[in-house]
Amino acid sequence: MKSFKDDIFWVDPERGIIKTYGELIQDLNTKNQVRSYILYNNPYEIFLELIHSILTKRKVELLDMYFHKEEIENMGLDYNSVYQFEVFNSFLGVSSFEDIMKSIFLAKETNSWEVAIYTSGTTGRPKKVWQGLQNLIRNVRTGEKYKNNVWAFAYNPTHMAGLQVFFQAFLNRNPMIYVFESEKQRVVEYLKVFRVTHISATPSFYRSIIPYFEVPNENVERVTCGGEKYDSALENELKRLFPKAKLFNIYASTEFGTLFSSNGEVFSIDESIKDYVKITEEGELLVHKDLLGHSEDFILESGEWYKTGDIVEKIDEDKFRFVHRKNELINVGGYKVNPHEVEEELKKISGVLDARVYSRTNRITGNILVADIVLSESIEDKQNFERTVFQELSKKLQEWKIPRIINIVDKLDFTRTGKKVRN
Amino acid sequence: MEELLLELINQILLKKGKTPLSILDKDLKLQSDLGFDSFDLAELTVKLEDKTGIDIFERRIIRTVGEILEELQR
Repeated sequence: MKSFKDDIFWVDPERGIIKTYGELIQDLNTKNQVRSYILYNNPYEIFLELIHSILTKRKVELLDMYFHKEEIENMGLDYNSVYQFEVFNSFLGVSSFEDIMKSIFLAKETNSWEVAIYTSGTTGRPKKVWQGLQNLIRNVRTGEKYKNNVWAFAYNPTHMAGLQVFFQAFLNRNPMIYVFESEKQRVVEYLKVFRVTHISATPSFYRSIIPYFEVPNENVERVTCGGEKYDSALENELKRLFPKAKLFNIYASTEFGTLFSSNGEVFSIDESIKDYVKITEEGELLVHKDLLGHSEDFILESGEWYKTGDIVEKIDEDKFRFVHRKNELINVGGYKVNPHEVEEELKKISGVLDARVYSRTNRITGNILVADIVLSESIEDKQNFERTVFQELSKKLQEWKIPRIINIVDKLDFTRTGKKVRN
Repeated sequence: MEELLLELINQILLKKGKTPLSILDKDLKLQSDLGFDSFDLAELTVKLEDKTGIDIFERRIIRTVGEILEELQR
């Protein structure tokens, strides 16, 4: 049985995986197959491939483990080629963790490595964003005071927030306990058993584990929320359940990584990025292209400014508060969903003539998707069509993109410009 | 109320290919016994609100079927 004195790197209780940093080095040195597309079900494999790609300066594309064949093909990728690997027979020769650290910081300085991450775009299909380490580890803090941290890993490992947690923990050689896929009751237990000190997750994730606390957890020192709008009711709950923890809220995105953090709903713009952030007259937050990764899908205002689609309220010169989203992307439990993508898939289901997707708010996941559907007369069992939709879309779309409430309607409402009404 | 709740829970179970319940046991835990994830809970709460006007998560955190019924019968 390994203990934390053994330099634990990764604990995945559900898969029964415990890896030390020493074992990671061994796995890196003996890895003899490499992939350009990282698509694994096991998060340890994902991070092994990712670190290996940094050490060998290979650009890689990170695909969500929940992508279905349909979604991958819609992105213009060949489904079979994403699983292809090449034989790697050079000797990597990593002798210590410090070797890895040096390579990572060198790759950051020389900008010699990038990873592509996919995120919901404003067009119908996910957009690909290339990120280097400059953005990925911009907010990582390292040093003596971080060395005893133990992290609960509570994000999807293939998304931006997951990568940020990974590098924060990894660069401090901290253990990570993978709880993202665990049953919620167990998460509470793991936080206690593994003496987790740091956790970062979406408000939806916290809301889902709250019912299982029998007593407050006094080990956790820092609780971070990200990916969804700040929620003061949740903050009060978190303060009660983690009485010793400092609470933080972060504003981050796939396009630029973490930019702001706060201990409430008001974000301060740090001096170092002040010239790279601006708020338009109508309140939209813009981020300068120098802070962005790169993507063919970025549309820049005056060639320089990326429109985040987030409407904020300026408090003073360098403080703001998030108000709402401007564009049509819907945040479902921390995942952004493009309703057009879902409508396209709905219309492929036999019997669906037209569909309109919009959101309903709730206290669990912030929003869930609702679809109004016009059905062909030939469909007899309209009563159970919601089940058909769920089962069809489950084969094609990530779970959060599936509308959970289906209204069968005679016709859809349109605005005068011909756009579907979403609210 | 019990009938409505049973129907809505069964809709979710059937959707996910699980066996529907024949009776509503108040001690059933939504997550660990019924296997509901956040998206299932969100669906249930929105549908209940549409039918009854009550947001079951408004006042408290709900763990069991019995707690939902308590909220609905308030």
